[in-house]
Amino acid sequence: MKRAAEGYADAESSSKRSRRAGDQDEYVDVDDTESPPDTGYVPRGATINLGALSRKLAAARRNADEQPSDSTLDAHRRQQDKLVSHIFMDQDFSWLHLKPDHASRPLWISPDDGHIILEAFSPIAEQAQDFLVAISEPVSRPAFIHEYKLTPYSLYAAVSVGLQTEDIIEVLNRLSKVPVPESIIALIRERTLSYGKVKLVLKHNKYFIESSHPETLQFLLKDKLIREARVVSQVADKSIKGNTFTTSKAPVKGDLVNPGVKEAEKKKDDTKAAAPGQPASDADLFTSVVGVDSDDIDDEDDNVHSFEIDDSKIDDVKKRCTELEYPMLEEYDFRNDTINPNLDIDLKPATVIRPYQETSLSKMFGNGRARSGIIVLPCGAGKTLVGITAACTIKKSCLILCTSSVSVMQWKSQFMQWSNVTDRQIAVFTADQKEKFAGESGIVISTYSMVANTHNRSHESKKMMEFLTSREWGFILLDEVHVVPAAMFRRVVTTIKAHSKLGLTATLVREDDKISDLNYMIGPKLYEANWMDLAAKGHIANVQCAEVWCPMTPEFYREYLREQSRKRMLLYCMNPKKFQACQFLIKYHEDRGDKIIVFSDNVFALEAYAKKLGKLYIHGGTGQVERMRILQNFQHNPAVNTIFLSKVGDTSIDLPEATCLIQISSHFGSRRQEAQRLGRILRAKRRNDEGFNAFFYSLVSKDTQEMFYSTKRQQFLIDQGYSFKVITHLDGLEKLPDLVYRTRDEQIELISSVLLANESDADLGNDIRAGEGDLAGTVTSKDFGLPVKVAAAQRTTGSLTALSGGQHMSYMEQNKSANKKLAREANTTRNKLFAKRDRDLASARKEARARG
Amino acid sequence: MPGASRDGTIDGAEEDPPHTLLPFLQSQSQNTLTRLYQRPSACLSMFRLLPPLDRQLVMNLLWLESAVPAGTMGAWVTRQGRKLYDEALLNLSRLHILPNPSVKLSLNGMFKTSLRQAVTGGGNNGSFGTAALKDDKHPPVSIEVLDTYAVERWETILHYMVSSGTGQLPTKPSPGVLFLLQRSGLMSTVHGSALQITSAGFQFLLHSPHDQLWQLLLQYLHMAEEREMDLVEILSFLFMLSTMELGKEYSIESLSVTQKAMLEDLRDYGLIWQRRTQSRRFSPTRLATTLTSLLPPLPTATSSGAGSQDQGFIVLETNYRLYAYTDNPLQTAVLNLFVSLKYRFPNLVVGSITRESVRKALANGITADQIISYLSTHAHPQMRKNKPLIPVTVQDQVRLWELERNRLKSEEGYLYTAFASQADYEYVLNYAKQLNVVLWENPAKRCFFGNLEGHGNIRGFIERRTGGQA
Repeated sequence: MKRAAEGYADAESSSKRSRRAGDQDEYVDVDDTESPPDTGYVPRGATINLGALSRKLAAARRNADEQPSDSTLDAHRRQQDKLVSHIFMDQDFSWLHLKPDHASRPLWISPDDGHIILEAFSPIAEQAQDFLVAISEPVSRPAFIHEYKLTPYSLYAAVSVGLQTEDIIEVLNRLSKVPVPESIIALIRERTLSYGKVKLVLKHNKYFIESSHPETLQFLLKDKLIREARVVSQVADKSIKGNTFTTSKAPVKGDLVNPGVKEAEKKKDDTKAAAPGQPASDADLFTSVVGVDSDDIDDEDDNVHSFEIDDSKIDDVKKRCTELEYPMLEEYDFRNDTINPNLDIDLKPATVIRPYQETSLSKMFGNGRARSGIIVLPCGAGKTLVGITAACTIKKSCLILCTSSVSVMQWKSQFMQWSNVTDRQIAVFTADQKEKFAGESGIVISTYSMVANTHNRSHESKKMMEFLTSREWGFILLDEVHVVPAAMFRRVVTTIKAHSKLGLTATLVREDDKISDLNYMIGPKLYEANWMDLAAKGHIANVQCAEVWCPMTPEFYREYLREQSRKRMLLYCMNPKKFQACQFLIKYHEDRGDKIIVFSDNVFALEAYAKKLGKLYIHGGTGQVERMRILQNFQHNPAVNTIFLSKVGDTSIDLPEATCLIQISSHFGSRRQEAQRLGRILRAKRRNDEGFNAFFYSLVSKDTQEMFYSTKRQQFLIDQGYSFKVITHLDGLEKLPDLVYRTRDEQIELISSVLLANESDADLGNDIRAGEGDLAGTVTSKDFGLPVKVAAAQRTTGSLTALSGGQHMSYMEQNKSANKKLAREANTTRNKLFAKRDRDLASARKEARARG
Repeated sequence: MPGASRDGTIDGAEEDPPHTLLPFLQSQSQNTLTRLYQRPSACLSMFRLLPPLDRQLVMNLLWLESAVPAGTMGAWVTRQGRKLYDEALLNLSRLHILPNPSVKLSLNGMFKTSLRQAVTGGGNNGSFGTAALKDDKHPPVSIEVLDTYAVERWETILHYMVSSGTGQLPTKPSPGVLFLLQRSGLMSTVHGSALQITSAGFQFLLHSPHDQLWQLLLQYLHMAEEREMDLVEILSFLFMLSTMELGKEYSIESLSVTQKAMLEDLRDYGLIWQRRTQSRRFSPTRLATTLTSLLPPLPTATSSGAGSQDQGFIVLETNYRLYAYTDNPLQTAVLNLFVSLKYRFPNLVVGSITRESVRKALANGITADQIISYLSTHAHPQMRKNKPLIPVTVQDQVRLWELERNRLKSEEGYLYTAFASQADYEYVLNYAKQLNVVLWENPAKRCFFGNLEGHGNIRGFIERRTGGQA
């Protein structure tokens, strides 16, 4: 290299010039990082820029390293480097040192915000994913590169499933292409130090605060509130150490095996887990990851220390601990619980749970106790079975809360199907069924609103509530935990005394960022499945997503621009082009043999569409009998292939027949709704047919707010790896016979009807009102609370020309609801044979009439 | 490996446009070309630039002494191949390699002789360059040094372009290069300010290095015409360079005056390396020796890992995230043209394609197709499992963002207003409608807007009418 440098020295002058420039830049480079370009008006030196400092050190180190091999190219590169560095502002981490064998390690860690970028095509990606899911929040998981983010909550969750600070850092370091940055190590240490070190255990029906770190308990006891809540035990202190805590053996997983898991498999897992915790070479990387992941690395300290807490003050203590940044983990040592009677249930021998269900449960029962937390599985991935398996593992009295009375019935039948629970052990508590189980332990299934309701209960429900609150529950299972309002939740959690809580949901996203509330009230997220993975393995259906752009007709667009009120929404829902696209798609998919659900949040639009296209529909105003009839027809009648559903159909409706979904209006930018709706077709019966695809269409009126919302809504699914194809033109749409609103006059008629509509018609989901016992907004809930429509006369002012039809006002024929027809048909209870003859007769008569 | 990639490229060559130099050569006079064909190295290079079918035709005819009747050759051609065959003949005749292909097929005599010589060797006109004698004091410079030099030179030029107007102060290339950039319309000055990159320049940045190089050289050729330099000398020198061997030193003795004058320019572009300005010898760099070949013009595996040039380094996900395995500031800067970049790690750049970032690129004159083709040519090997390469949704979206910009059509015309009466208005409007020139009308305000073509007629019509009344 020295020779080359000499060669350059006597080479042409321009080369020399650039070299000198390079040398200078090298100097400037260091200098520059010392005082980063000041963009704000903060006086220099007012803040200590740690990033800049460490960058400077790294740069200095690098310069020192590269001194001998310096060449013009390096200088040139460095100089160019400076030119692009500004693009990244604080996020330029090119100063990090790549490890020499970085190619075989799958991830990068951003020192700034804890972002982790993972190569999903790396050979050890699967292990890395398992680990990352445990310690961080998945941000996006498409095909090749996944992103995760370390957050305080995710670290909290990691600790709660039994990972240790040093293990997290060690494994991260093994997987990372760059050494784990100091800032991240600091973050992990800081968070794991306080989180998860304290556990709240309900033992022998007494609450204990437990920790393997006595100093933590000492710290907590310094707090007045906690000190006062402490119950000084009467038993003489036997601890050799002479400290004030009760010391006992830490729990070990021992022989606890989740039911449904094959013994042999479990054994293998255990031996793997038993591999030495500190492997020396990289070859042992796998084992170390798996070892840590299977949760068996528990506290090195075999002894745990605890003190008792007064039952009545438990809430205050919990709150106080959170304030002190020592949130308490809730664990239930159910095997040693001798006070609460066992419930003798088990999964049926034929019931086999899927690998991911097993993984999620292993997070919950990792150390032989039941941890409280949330398990996130996509819709249709068998959340119910996870819940049932958990109940069968704990084998104590169990309370299950779901969103509606029909879900209650579904849960009950699922319990009967998968486990050997008897009819006597399982009870239902809804608005019209108030049962208690026989015997001293059992299962109660109810709804959130039944339990959380605070006012005017019937005598019976009061009695039932007393029954629920007086008991101690081993396990409380919270279904669709994301939809429950925080206040209702708090009420449930405080009135019911339960040892462990498990929340189940498909989408842990909320637009109002109330997710952290769940974290505090239930516990950390224990497991989150990868949608694409499940789809690839055939557990959920493959879905083709598309966004169909429907241009606004000029008339509609003019009104849209003119209208400022909420009616704008009605205008883009009722866009005739959207009507046509919807009609076309329904026709196309019915011809393919698909069963179609059309979703509309707007009831006005829903009815208009369904009536115009002659399809069945369900919304809040649809009566219970009619609703069931429609759902049954959709499932079993080959002639009924399409139903229209309002918001009531978003969750907990189980229609495995549906294979295609069309969405014509939706709730603004709700990512959750989009995911929930997609969930309706994920469990499609035919999903394992070769080459089967379910379809999800979102119809969007072009150039309206809908476009903006639509992009926002899709974000969650896009991050899960789904891709929305944009369709700007539907081939063959114009050629469709009997296309609706083909002519301009028809379109103008439509617009006048839209403009006549009440402002309230533009509201979304106005058909839904919570009935007794049900959460608002579920299709299967019994009582929607019919929107009371007083058929008052409508008065409008208009000119004479308008009334006489001069301004495109017309008196139109109302489309009949297909629902009514169905009802009429259902009323004819004649035998099929006769029915056919009747039809023949009728048609003969008609023919005769036509001739005559 | 190079063989394989070459084959691959030839297979896909049907869609490839002809080499950028060919149209330029086709526009030259027969005289110029014939003089060029005197040099075997030029003929060999020309041959390498031709499309595959043309090459085959030339090879078939090369060793024939007599002409082949057009019909005889034509009988070989299948019906599907007819169009390609005709195109190839036309192409060759325009280059004056194959005069009068409609009657008989026979190669241009000069071309034939020179190409034969190039293939068989022999001759002493030094058209492939004269190797310099071994110099004991200075052993020939290593390939590594040459590569470094070429990369540095080339990246300096590109980086200067990409950072102009960002408030950064990159190293300036030599005045000759700056002049060339300005002349080629890749950069321009506004009111005497510093050079700014133009939309053509942005598009230029997305091309492959090979294309970029030829684009600049082509401009150099155009300029040479103005400078009254001999085009044949320049072309033959470029062709000579392209047939030289990397790492060898050549003497400048056999070069003509024009060619000696070119040395300085080519040095600035990084095509050749000289120990001193006055040195009697020069070495071509990889940029020069690959001018007419399909090998990558920039070194593939340098110490700093710029080797991602030809194997692809971009991973694009369906969620519009873009991950580029690169530590090359130039590639980063180019990506920054249409990606909003977020993180940078030692060997990875993370960003996402957003509406804003694409609109910025579109505003700079880059087209959606260019973005997509850049992404697909540089796609990471992992992405190659995908079919299609770039997620369809992203492709569509980028195109739709482009369409978003082209919604308004502007048309020049005249507004006719202030009609005296409704009857007048309708009368004129009817006339204009018959001419089909009405773009917009508003009866309430009695005005309408007609396009430019109709104005003469309408004006005449109104004048005639008002004249008639008066």
